[in-house]
Amino acid sequence: MGLDRMIWTGFATLTVLFMMSPLAVLVLFCFSESPLLSFPIQGWTLHWFFAAFDRPGFFTAFQNSLIVTACVGAVSTVIGTLAALSLSRMNRRAAGSLMALLTLPLMAPPLLLGIALLTFYTSWVDVPLGLHTVIASHLVFTQPFVILVVSARMLSFDFATIDSARDLGASPLQAFFQITLPIVSPSILGGALIAMALSLDDFLVTFFTIGGNNTLPTFMWGMLRRGVDPSINVVAVLIMALSLGATVLGFRITRYRG
Amino acid sequence: MKNGRFPYARILPVLPSVLVFTAFFAVPLAYFFIISFWRVRAFQLRPDATLAQYEAVFLDYSGPLIFTLGMALAIGLTTTLIAFAFAFFCRFRAYRFGTALIFVTLLALFGGYLTKIYMWKTILGSAGILNSALLAIGLIDNPITALLYNPVAVVITLVHYTLPLAVLPIYGSLKGIDDIPLEAARDLGASRMRIFADIIVPQCRVGILSAFSLSFIFAAGDYVTPLMVGGPSSSMIGLFIQNQFGTRLNSPLGSAMSFVVIGCCVVIILTVAAALFAVTRRRD
Repeated sequence: MGLDRMIWTGFATLTVLFMMSPLAVLVLFCFSESPLLSFPIQGWTLHWFFAAFDRPGFFTAFQNSLIVTACVGAVSTVIGTLAALSLSRMNRRAAGSLMALLTLPLMAPPLLLGIALLTFYTSWVDVPLGLHTVIASHLVFTQPFVILVVSARMLSFDFATIDSARDLGASPLQAFFQITLPIVSPSILGGALIAMALSLDDFLVTFFTIGGNNTLPTFMWGMLRRGVDPSINVVAVLIMALSLGATVLGFRITRYRG
Repeated sequence: MKNGRFPYARILPVLPSVLVFTAFFAVPLAYFFIISFWRVRAFQLRPDATLAQYEAVFLDYSGPLIFTLGMALAIGLTTTLIAFAFAFFCRFRAYRFGTALIFVTLLALFGGYLTKIYMWKTILGSAGILNSALLAIGLIDNPITALLYNPVAVVITLVHYTLPLAVLPIYGSLKGIDDIPLEAARDLGASRMRIFADIIVPQCRVGILSAFSLSFIFAAGDYVTPLMVGGPSSSMIGLFIQNQFGTRLNSPLGSAMSFVVIGCCVVIILTVAAALFAVTRRRD
């Protein structure tokens, strides 16, 4: 192995370690007996899992997370897919600028989005904060992903299949449900899972728009403010496992690569 | 439109998305911008047309503002540099491992914003994971206390968070580069450096720029990281912005601060873009 190759391999190994080791360490310490997060690990236990689940408010937060994630996933998938299908039928220029507009929220820092929406809800429209405001707010930054993933699929979509179905007497709705949807559905499912992963993981926008309730990330924030305790690791790993699980599944289904 | 009976049938399906964008992004941000010219009296927003908030931002918060932009610039540049080298390795040097490494990067993208910050806090702490590991293997005798609660900890944490976000757009544009011109250039005797500077870099300027913008903007707007790992010397502007909505209840000032930060970010990104495009001229 040449020197050049050794340097590159070393650099890549260090980068992967840097990206992944905090997450690996987190999982490791979920099972460590000692209440201190430090090496060497003395013994192994499942105690922190029970401690986390026994905390008051944990199951409400868990339930709220599931509600928000399910609603955001469903709504952003439907409207994002409709938008992507519609964009695929427009001329390139119009589709390009609409796409740029709809994906603009991805550039906004989450703090700005959170406080702007908080001000909007409380000072202008005057709605009480709750899960519904969180769901509405999450749509803004989850629908771009559904639009991007489904649009990417539509680039290689053969519109002749629809035309022949229509020529053979299928109604537009029949053509949609029997031709378009089955072909595009892996991408739609993939986009939905990515949208759900983002919604589940979001802290900043949720924190400002949820009022007095909690989802898992804001519940974890409350625990963090009260000091470090290994049961935080369990909540963190739970959030991570759910969002990672959704993502891995999403990427597998769509075969999305970069 | 060709569809005779119902001319808008093709445009109609995009409307729900546009509606969500307008109602929960465009309108709230526009309103939020407008209140930066308002005042607060007796905890109530009062419509006004004053620049007092902007004056306050520049008079009272220029220190944190400059510090924040400097930090964000350091984080953005570090992230982009590592991300470029890593994406370059995955595209040109890793052969069949390239896609696997990109998949690992995709996984690192998720896994929790709060979780990552919290992990760095426990890794870098004086009784934390890094120190205890170093003590256990006997590399050090006393814990190093200088790891946490300083600007360097903020840089490490945010580079870690934004790195996967930056690798993906650069890898995307590197993947679009055709192998044939590279081989042709090599056959015609171009050095590795020439190929790199004249063919590869010019073709992934957009990827580099989006990687820098994403990490830079995210770092400039973050407040949880400086709060958790930064310590008293790392008072970034996000902390002050967030305070206006938590304890201080002065949304006009918070709004003015936010838009000053956004304005500065746009200026810096345009400058970096101009510099990047000037340095890497395309030769075809």
